[in-house]
Amino acid sequence: MRVSAPVRATVQRLTLPFLIFMSALLAVLGKADVLLFDRVRVVLADVLAPVLQVAGEPIASVSRAVGTVENVITVYHQNQELKLENQRLLQWQEVARRLQSENEELRNLVKFAPQGAVSSVAAQVIADSGGAFLHNILVNVGSREGVARGQPAMTGDGLVGRVIEVGGRTARILLLTDINSHIPVAIEGTHDHAMLNGDNSDEPRLVYVQPKTPVKSGDRIVTSGSGGMFPPDLPVGVVASVGGVIRVETYADLARLEMVRIVNYGLDGILPDGWVPTPQAGRRSHARAASSP
Amino acid sequence: MPYSRNRDYVGFVARMVPGTTTFLFTLLSLLPFPVPSFGSIAPSFALMAVFHWTVYRPDLLPPGAVFVAGLLLDLLNGTPYVGLSALALLLVRTAVLNQRRIFSHRPFSVLWLGFFGATAGAFALEWAFVSLMQVEFLAPRPFVFQTLITAACFPIGSYVLALAHRAMPALSA
Repeated sequence: MRVSAPVRATVQRLTLPFLIFMSALLAVLGKADVLLFDRVRVVLADVLAPVLQVAGEPIASVSRAVGTVENVITVYHQNQELKLENQRLLQWQEVARRLQSENEELRNLVKFAPQGAVSSVAAQVIADSGGAFLHNILVNVGSREGVARGQPAMTGDGLVGRVIEVGGRTARILLLTDINSHIPVAIEGTHDHAMLNGDNSDEPRLVYVQPKTPVKSGDRIVTSGSGGMFPPDLPVGVVASVGGVIRVETYADLARLEMVRIVNYGLDGILPDGWVPTPQAGRRSHARAASSP
Repeated sequence: MPYSRNRDYVGFVARMVPGTTTFLFTLLSLLPFPVPSFGSIAPSFALMAVFHWTVYRPDLLPPGAVFVAGLLLDLLNGTPYVGLSALALLLVRTAVLNQRRIFSHRPFSVLWLGFFGATAGAFALEWAFVSLMQVEFLAPRPFVFQTLITAACFPIGSYVLALAHRAMPALSA
């Protein structure tokens, strides 16, 4: 298409202000209408997932190589430790067997209905948010593997976060440390409910704690199951500091995640379709958690 | 003539180098490096690419391309504020373009200092914007840290971009 020189010059001069205005507008309005962005985001993540995975492969192999060398160096020491651990575990196995049979008998006695089937899928981290105010990861499993919004992501150590976006072959997990993460939790033992809110630091904050029962450093924090978001008693972390702001050190090492497990407990959750991580939504769920007994 | 068509094609490839490297650098900052907390301090490689090409070949990285790169970054990193990176990158491009004369034919240290300033500005903008939208002051430390890491990684990014840059005339010749 041919346009006259003055018109072209005008268009060129206006492009930059227009684009600056557009990006500012998008950034401000984005929170209001994230549904469209969500769809674009999911499609884009799905399309670029193979690229990210291939690009991440060299990094992963270097990391594996370093790991192998480390293992070779420490193999003797590890062997000693493993032997000890094995001894200990064999004793535990004995205990577990005894408890299992006892448990079965007792269940028969009270006609206990077992929980619904739990399935889980292992996922590799293919992208990291890479921002000072963002704590989320992109993993290489999606709706094809049965992943759905709201499902918890775990490592062997404990809870990592929850699924907030699902594409065909990718899913985004909001980590516990993200400023938009609000998880209903309970203090193990006393069963006092509280909320675990991310605040962009390494250790999320424990808020809405019952004033009657003080929280001690070292208390174990588990999911409370309220709100139907997560099942109760998933391990989350331990109370790290109680001076003023109560902070929780998560069991899962959120700083270096390579693999996570996304677990399907068959819960519907409290996240309806189109739910977006906004502070407003977060506050509403606080109110709900705070008002529940 | 096939010869000139071939030259056209090679010239086209050369003109694509700034855009392509910017795209690749944008993806690079999303990769999960096995460094503790890398996600929150990952250097902004996209910023390096935009800075480099704005100083040397702004004609080959027009505002539209910078906008797309920023939007791509925002859509892939899952931020609720899609457009914020695009805004930051476009403002960096505008600022650098206005001060281009300072950087031409000067030692690398001047360029580095300029990049540090641009990075600090970009992250200050992000920090201010997100704090405003979240209605609470975010801890500035991660942002300061990310600025320092990004500035510290600039020589590496700049070196890679310079390699691509040097390959360009060879391609278009």
